[in-house]
Amino acid sequence: MKFSANWLNEYLQKPLKPQEIADLLTMHAFEVETCEKFGKDFVLDIKVLPDRAHDCMSHIGIAKELAAISGLGFIESKANISEDKKIKAKDFIFVEVPSGDLCPRYSMRVLSDVKVAPSPKWMQERLAACGLRPISNIVDITNYVMIETGQPLHAFDVDKVGGKKIIVRRANEGEQITTLEGKTYKLSNQNLVIADEKVAIGIAGIKGGEGPEIDEKTKVVVIESANFEPTNIRRTSKAFNLRTDASIRFENGLDPELTIKALGRAASLMAEFAGGRVASGLIDVYPNKVKPRKIFADVEWIQGLLGLPVKMQEMINILKRLDVPAKIIKKNKKTFIEVTPPSSRLDLRAQEDIAEEIARIMGYDKIPATVPSGILIPAAKEENLIYEDKIKDILVGAGWSEAQNYSFISDADVKTFEIVKQVEIKNPFSQDQKYLRPTLIVNLLKNVKENLKYFDGVRLFEIGRSFTMVGGNPAEWKNKIAAVVSNKNAKRPAEGLFELKGLVHILFEKLGIDDVWFDDEISSDSSVMPFWLKYTHPARRAQIKSGQNQIGWVGEIKPKILSAMEIKEKISVFELDFSEVIRIASEEREYIPPSKYPAIIRDLAIVVEQTTKIETVLNIIEIAGGPLLQDTDIFDIYEGLVDYKKSLAFRLIYQSDERSLSDAEINKLMEKIIKSLEEKGWEVRK
Amino acid sequence: MQNIIEDLKKKFKEEMQKVSDKKLLEDLRVRYLGRNGELNKILRGLKELSEEERVQVGRYINEFKKEISELMETAEEKIKQMAEDFSKEWLDVTAPGAKLPQGHLHPRTIVLRKVEEIFQSLGFSVVDSREMETDYYNFQALNFPKDHPARDMQDTFYITDELLMRTQTSPNQVRYMEKHNPPLRIIVPGKVFRRDASDATHESQFYQVEGLMVDKHISIGHFKAVIGEFFSQLYGQKIKIRLRPSYFPFTEPSFEPDISCTFCDGRGCRICKNTGWLEMAGAGMVHPFVFKSAGYSPYEWQGFAFGFGLDRLVMMKYKINDMRVLNFGDLRFLKQF
Repeated sequence: MKFSANWLNEYLQKPLKPQEIADLLTMHAFEVETCEKFGKDFVLDIKVLPDRAHDCMSHIGIAKELAAISGLGFIESKANISEDKKIKAKDFIFVEVPSGDLCPRYSMRVLSDVKVAPSPKWMQERLAACGLRPISNIVDITNYVMIETGQPLHAFDVDKVGGKKIIVRRANEGEQITTLEGKTYKLSNQNLVIADEKVAIGIAGIKGGEGPEIDEKTKVVVIESANFEPTNIRRTSKAFNLRTDASIRFENGLDPELTIKALGRAASLMAEFAGGRVASGLIDVYPNKVKPRKIFADVEWIQGLLGLPVKMQEMINILKRLDVPAKIIKKNKKTFIEVTPPSSRLDLRAQEDIAEEIARIMGYDKIPATVPSGILIPAAKEENLIYEDKIKDILVGAGWSEAQNYSFISDADVKTFEIVKQVEIKNPFSQDQKYLRPTLIVNLLKNVKENLKYFDGVRLFEIGRSFTMVGGNPAEWKNKIAAVVSNKNAKRPAEGLFELKGLVHILFEKLGIDDVWFDDEISSDSSVMPFWLKYTHPARRAQIKSGQNQIGWVGEIKPKILSAMEIKEKISVFELDFSEVIRIASEEREYIPPSKYPAIIRDLAIVVEQTTKIETVLNIIEIAGGPLLQDTDIFDIYEGLVDYKKSLAFRLIYQSDERSLSDAEINKLMEKIIKSLEEKGWEVRK
Repeated sequence: MQNIIEDLKKKFKEEMQKVSDKKLLEDLRVRYLGRNGELNKILRGLKELSEEERVQVGRYINEFKKEISELMETAEEKIKQMAEDFSKEWLDVTAPGAKLPQGHLHPRTIVLRKVEEIFQSLGFSVVDSREMETDYYNFQALNFPKDHPARDMQDTFYITDELLMRTQTSPNQVRYMEKHNPPLRIIVPGKVFRRDASDATHESQFYQVEGLMVDKHISIGHFKAVIGEFFSQLYGQKIKIRLRPSYFPFTEPSFEPDISCTFCDGRGCRICKNTGWLEMAGAGMVHPFVFKSAGYSPYEWQGFAFGFGLDRLVMMKYKINDMRVLNFGDLRFLKQF
């Protein structure tokens, strides 16, 4: 909120320099965002905090803070009203408050014989400094008093109030009101209105309505100064997306005692600057007067919380400077400060609030830094997070870079990737951020597309949360590990896919998981069809499993998706379930010393059908080879033989940990393997 | 006889001149000193000579042998030196190295690891958390009732009336205290969300690090010491801390720690807008309401809590001028870390 430095200084015994005001407030109350010259004045933009909006969105409130901080005295503004005994307020207007629950206090004053004209120049300048446009003396005075005291006021032309009656009531369902700006709102019984005998003439606490507004012909003015229930004001203001200087103040709650103070000030200004006669009598509907409350603040507790043995008397002095009456009392051998907060300090409720007042007025710089002592608790990091770090290091070591993307996806993404059960944001800010991602793949593919403009090979991974509907409810679903690869100038089909299979092996081996396999027998049962089947190439994908546990999948992205995203290169991806991976991961592994005995190496070339899986051939070799066959490597694949066949060349390594092997026994094993292969109808080239 | 030996010597020396490598040298040695070598041939002919002549020739031959050995040794040394002359094997070592696969951690991860390491050294455990939260933990348990104006400080993405994307890491204060007894010291890093337009300094998602320390006697002074030590370790220089009053519903008193500007040492520069200070975090003493939410006896315990933006630290450390690059996997950016 904008404040005038000259205006603030009017309340202080001795004026402060604008920059002094800014510094004092910043270190003891509120941050001052700017302090700029404005004509002969300076304007300060002060970030009044929500817990003090009720009293500090006003020049008096800020000046009181300055007085307390600087120790300078505070000078009250004048409000000398001389009522004209010949006219009585109650003869002009009658007030009824049937909805007292939403309006704890409703006060009014009447002025007759006013002359509507421009307000005095000094007032116009101050309003302008605070960012308000001068309108007329009557309206300007209501605004002026609002930014002076914090109490919003509203002025009506009594002659235009139907039946000379003001009723503070809930709106009728479907009732309409057109505000002073000419906008029409449809109301419900959740909204409080100010009405005359027949129609609503204002949305209570938010905006005045068309009808009894002040104009140049206005003769009799009635000033409204009310206290409304904050939550209701806030709800209505939000529902209508209508925020005003008044509604902002009301929704933070206001001191009910403030209504008549502000009325007095406004009436005195109107009498002075609009030539009005103040009608005698105050209209004031205030059935439940707020009672003063007491806070007992434990002195020792406050000293402990601050970390500074502030003397009791100093605490009392600080509170006095804040205009908060306090005294020392003893109870059960403990010393307390008994505080009676003034009605204007709605925020002071308990001893922690008193502690804050003492700390900030005294200054946080007075508190020395003290190293905490106490029981030493060993600092641990949760296992999940340790694994996350480890997985990142493994993937980076293998040549993949870490991306961190938005958790959102767009409407278009949902359509392209045929995503179902997506979690929708109820109040999205933009169409790009309408849903939460069920997979990390969508945004990673966007990364690949962008990177392909600059790089021939793109290798990225991400670890992050995914979201989906579970049993009809939105849920934070799984933490996932995803990796992508795309190479321009790939040398063989699905090169990226095999790169990722290699990456999976590195990852799992380093995590101590050794039984990983790739299952391409994927159930095509559409009812349980997982998301990834919709965007992966049906002939180039596999589930990643450890034993029978599914821990993820790997595949090439479907051409249809790539063309929808306008990507020309092939992209392969994997996505793993993070918690499943770390569940299986075990750091326990046993060292096996290398064998002291020589290995015997034999090569084997086999001709099989083009569609025969290497995995199947390997299984047969390994079963027949038995425990002496320590390793089997495929070192050549030659496709394109006649009759739609391919040749596979394996290198078989035999070794024992206990003895040297003889050629004779290896020959026997080789014969056994060849026999098993031939039984399958495959040709072994000898 | 003597002449024969002198001739042989001459011949040896001539041949010796031509020897250029180890193998030729060895051949030469065999030819003269070997079992069937020239010298042995002469020695075999000795028995035909007189006793006197034998002694003399023997002496000659021994001298010759000695000479050969010395010459051979010198030659060997020479050859060795020649072998160490690698000039023929020269290549351009300034040619670029092999392009090995190279991955890069996200700068946020790099800075977060440093942050975690420092806090762990100060006795703070690192705790995992969730991104989708309930209205209760994100707001109500932290003393933000429904329809409270303080909620305006954090524009929120709602999923349903009761579910939302957390706007702060603070819900983990109550979540953690519900399951653990004091004393405790934790930090909770994580992604948070704000319903806000994206620009160079604002994002709809960013990272925060939450901190919480609870014990019987915890003071503002303790907070100052811990946060000061953290920033000093992070920047590797003595950092001054000042606290400015602030307001958060879940702390009382509330304050914002500023650190002395790391760019100008507090003298005032463009980055600190000539104030000498940088705003770093929100903090305060845990509100008794929060202890109550967690099921603790409110005035039996004291604690401080703080939260700071990790992205700001990352941007400051690497002089990144646009926050949005942190939320996209751009290799031109990532390759620099």
